[in-house]
Amino acid sequence: MAGRLLLRACTTTTLQLRSNVVARPLHRAMSTAKGIPTDDEQATGLERRALQALKRGKDPYSILKPKKYAGTKEEPHIVPCTGTKRLVGCLCEEDNTAIVWFWLHEGDAQRCPSCGSHYQLVHNELPH
Amino acid sequence: MAHQAHAYHMVDPSPWPLTGAVGALLLTSGLAVWFHFHSTILLSLGLILLLLTMYQWWRDIIREGTFQGHHTPPVQKGLRFGMILFITSEVFFFLGFFWAFYHSSLAPTPELGGCWPPTGITTLDPFEVPLLNTAVLLASGVTVTWAHHSIMEGEREQAIHSLTLTILLGFYFTFLQAMEYYEAPFTIADGVYGSTFFVATGFHGLHVIIGSTFLAVCLLRQVQYHFTSGHHFGFEAAAWYWHFVDVVWLFLYISIYWWGS
Repeated sequence: MAGRLLLRACTTTTLQLRSNVVARPLHRAMSTAKGIPTDDEQATGLERRALQALKRGKDPYSILKPKKYAGTKEEPHIVPCTGTKRLVGCLCEEDNTAIVWFWLHEGDAQRCPSCGSHYQLVHNELPH
Repeated sequence: MAHQAHAYHMVDPSPWPLTGAVGALLLTSGLAVWFHFHSTILLSLGLILLLLTMYQWWRDIIREGTFQGHHTPPVQKGLRFGMILFITSEVFFFLGFFWAFYHSSLAPTPELGGCWPPTGITTLDPFEVPLLNTAVLLASGVTVTWAHHSIMEGEREQAIHSLTLTILLGFYFTFLQAMEYYEAPFTIADGVYGSTFFVATGFHGLHVIIGSTFLAVCLLRQVQYHFTSGHHFGFEAAAWYWHFVDVVWLFLYISIYWWGS
């Protein structure tokens, strides 16, 4: 079985290699006429969705570090959420070891029960 | 709840860790059985199981990453850390053998004649085949870097050519080293010189073969369009491993072949 698989891999490879050596135009010549696809052409699945979103300046999969907000009424912490509520853990001051946990619901901004910073839930659609 | 909201890969259950563990058990116990009872059946079974495990496990990783897109940037970062940690562990593995070599050679015992190389040992001339081997591996380091830049710049033909050249240089090294082993005037049984020489260079040779195999798999994948100009970590991992093998050879050459002659 492994022998047949190896034979198949070798034949496919040789065929592909041969078709390159015979200077026929590379049948994969899309924007890369030199033959190696780009992520834009070939990435698939979650990787594609994540890369395309990042290209458009969005980060639905929380890959980048969260933005810093002032936490005031005018500039609340923006909390993206795929549902209607999300847990928030507030470190009221730097180096605090007691984290203040609370549910943030959709609608008006809520304030941390301990330090009063404002948090606003924002609905976040996952790309698909 | 169809999709995950994070960029990590929650791997599906897989039988390969178990088959790998069983294979390792059969290999090790098979080795002991071979030593004591002259039977190779357990050993062969273990080897087959291990090879099948490696093939299927890595095939599944390629499926998950290249064909299904699970290797997002954070996942790739994790894979990079993994490869770096693995190579680091291999560095420590070789460090042990260098320790053994220097322990024996810096203060040679009276049994050896109080000198290094020990009395009666005709060493290999470091400026003959070993120097050629050094040139071969250094050249292969250049060609693998060429291959990397070709991939990043989208040059398919050049990538295939330079990667093939790298593998051929690897084979050339292995062939030359095999010839040296055959023609050497001393064996592994020739005292501590023989032991340190053949264990250190032997494990290095094994790593050259492993590295060449890794590069060959990358060549197969490159021909089949797996790599993109921005995402080709399998190749990068193979190139890192190959550079590591090259560096180990340089240390071997300087310590054992040159200083130790």
